[in-house]
Amino acid sequence: MLKVRLIPTLLLLDGRMIKTKQFGEYRDVGNPRTVAKVYDAQGVDELIFLDITATDENRHFIFDIIAAVAEECFIPLTVGGGIRTLEQAHEILTHGADKVAINTAASERPEFITEIAKKFGNSTVVVSIDYKKNAEGNNEVFTHRGTKPTGRDPVEWAKEAESLGAGEILLTCIDQEGMMNGYDLVVLKSVTSAVKIPVTASGGVGTIQDLVDGIVEGGASAVSAASIFHFTDQSIFKAHSHMKEKGLSVRKKM
Amino acid sequence: MKRCSKCVMCETQDMISFDEEGICATCRQLEYKDDVINWDERKVEFEELLKDYRGKGSYDCIIPFSGGKDSTFAALALVRDFNLKPLVVSFDHGFYRPMILENTERAIRKLGVDYMRFKSDWQVVKKLMRESLIRKGDIMWHSHCGIFAYPMQIAVKHKIPLIIWGEQTSEYVSYYSYEEKEQVDEKRFNRVVNLGINAEDMVGMLDGSVTMRDLEPYTYPNLKDLRSIKYRSICLGTYVPWDTKKQSERIHEELGWKGDNVEGIPYDRYWYEKIEDGFQGIQDYLKWLKRGMSRMTHLASIDIRNGRMTREEGMEMVEKYEGFRPASLDVFLKALDMTDEEFHEIALKHVVSPHVPPDWRTLPRGPELPDQKDWSINFDIE
Amino acid sequence: MVTVIDYGLGNIFSVVKAFEMIGADVQVSSDASDIRSADHLVLPGVGAFADGMQFLHDKDLDTVLTEEVVQNKKPFLGICLGLQLLAEIGQEHGEHKGLGWIPGKVQVLDTGDEPLKIPHVGWNNLEMTQDNPLFTDIHKDSDFYFVHSYQLHCTDPKDCIATTTYGETITAAIWHDNIFATQFHPEKSQDAGLKLLENFLSYSH
Repeated sequence: MLKVRLIPTLLLLDGRMIKTKQFGEYRDVGNPRTVAKVYDAQGVDELIFLDITATDENRHFIFDIIAAVAEECFIPLTVGGGIRTLEQAHEILTHGADKVAINTAASERPEFITEIAKKFGNSTVVVSIDYKKNAEGNNEVFTHRGTKPTGRDPVEWAKEAESLGAGEILLTCIDQEGMMNGYDLVVLKSVTSAVKIPVTASGGVGTIQDLVDGIVEGGASAVSAASIFHFTDQSIFKAHSHMKEKGLSVRKKM
Repeated sequence: MKRCSKCVMCETQDMISFDEEGICATCRQLEYKDDVINWDERKVEFEELLKDYRGKGSYDCIIPFSGGKDSTFAALALVRDFNLKPLVVSFDHGFYRPMILENTERAIRKLGVDYMRFKSDWQVVKKLMRESLIRKGDIMWHSHCGIFAYPMQIAVKHKIPLIIWGEQTSEYVSYYSYEEKEQVDEKRFNRVVNLGINAEDMVGMLDGSVTMRDLEPYTYPNLKDLRSIKYRSICLGTYVPWDTKKQSERIHEELGWKGDNVEGIPYDRYWYEKIEDGFQGIQDYLKWLKRGMSRMTHLASIDIRNGRMTREEGMEMVEKYEGFRPASLDVFLKALDMTDEEFHEIALKHVVSPHVPPDWRTLPRGPELPDQKDWSINFDIE
Repeated sequence: MVTVIDYGLGNIFSVVKAFEMIGADVQVSSDASDIRSADHLVLPGVGAFADGMQFLHDKDLDTVLTEEVVQNKKPFLGICLGLQLLAEIGQEHGEHKGLGWIPGKVQVLDTGDEPLKIPHVGWNNLEMTQDNPLFTDIHKDSDFYFVHSYQLHCTDPKDCIATTTYGETITAAIWHDNIFATQFHPEKSQDAGLKLLENFLSYSH
């Protein structure tokens, strides 16, 4: 039986791992290479690396990090953050990543999704969608790390991304991110019901039960979290155990 | 808050699970240990393994050593029962107590082994203890890492491929099962030793106040270097059945090993337990604040599983010995220039649900250990 | 020497690192001479069937490989697309000829009435359908990482040694003589995957 996936998101800034709150203030939470090894040792299913490094000069960190992780961790790796060209996607994939997550670039030029899908395969393209409530109180997709409104609705955009060739969706609720109050299950459910491709829920996990809710109530195929693994006692191993206790099908510890 | 219906472990223990009868996995696992493992076979396997290492190089193996009952027994058994020539290596975390140092001295002289002890920079240790407390509600990150990483570094430096540890972790946590032959490697380091934090993480978390050179003692050697010496890092407890009471008696008889008072547990019953660390009482107190159980629960559970105590007796002991603010906390606070309020505020951020700790200000103070004034830490804070 | 064939598709880096982790000498190449001199051949790949065949053909690899593997019986491991290309026919975006080493057709996954997501992405466990040397000493409940939308239907059921379930039964691994292939990614399946690669290396014809 296909297992549900637990995928921590590692946020990177200038080669260090950080954790943000509502895409704002941040704290250093470690070295991405060694954190990845800890997660791997605990039986994590996949890893997502999001590089929010602002400048082009600092982008090279990610290649070395991914290559170092891929040398010792034999699990799927997704890399995102400022990917705008096929060359960048190619460079990331040849350094050991299996999937690229595209966000701003996809929203600004949706054909980019199809271009990557055609060249590297649909399964290598993850379209990352960040959304929050706008001034009118409606859910709107934002790019540029939550600063630029796009006028798009997250559900509609997810459907469009799927039709353009996306293999998976990574859905993040900016309002919930880092707040540890749970996922936004309503919008999550709308998106998972609207597309046939797998959706990974992200943003807001405070307890392990939130992970379970994301799958059972939200309909996600995979759940992502960060804060609970850095700031609480929770571990990948405990999360898997709890999810299993709640009746979800998870990878067995071998 | 639930406790196991057989032993007295709480549901807040890391990675514990109870089955339909309310019995914890560790209790269940020990049933396997007694029934299924063929210890004669395991011993033969061990002898076969040792043939590849005995007599080769300057030393047959490294024995990581703290001076506590387990590593002392391991040294005794490996030298006298298995005829190995080890290099005995101690990582000194900075708060070994006088009795343990005496025990170590006696043991290494009587056994006749080459011995090295490494003590890391205490000023760096203080920074690490503070950060470890903040990040994980645990003050011993440097100790956990140093104990498991440092001997591996010595293995690489001196090209000694075989490293033999004492007991398997499956004795008391359900993470590893008895069927597995535990490898004490980097995966294990990352799973159950370093609290999920490596030296490379700590250097950024401490934001420039320490360098990677300062953190070298806590850094696990990289896999390429370990493989170049064809390392093998195993537990003696995989090949011989572990019985702490019998083993403690044996090291007492043969090596004059002596026990000591420890905060939070009765001396007469547990004279051999965890005597090495001056700050063990604080570490146990932190566990009690976070999880509602401490060393007494842990030891009573082991005794219950081995048929040496009833569950009722266990609960009585728990009630009698847990719930005291340790006297040694004063030393720690002075060393780190921290107040009681600060300490508890940080500690309470790490409470594991569903435990709700009582108001710490109301807790009675535990008795001061007789040797507390003789701890070497005092050289720093006097 | 393990030669991992580079034909422009797939995460070769991880395949190489996985073999290095288990102590093998490994090189990446699309040169005929490297293929001929290899002790073991690995064909990875992620992407479309037609593209895969086109790239193999452009570099003349289809001919060399067929010689070395089918005629000269060199141990061979295909991964993901590298399994699908072994078929006679692939029906992804039209009909295309495959290498034809394994009788069968590659068709889109049919999840039936169940509202399952496509592609089949994630960790899934296997059922062994034949005794085989590829899964020796691997725990029977181990999960392996899959990511695909098509599968190879073997004409001869004896070629299929393991299956997985996702709406329908899916060919997870095949074995024919010296030819092995997995639909899942052993280089992304942690310890179980590494053990499988070790088993492949231990196989000698």
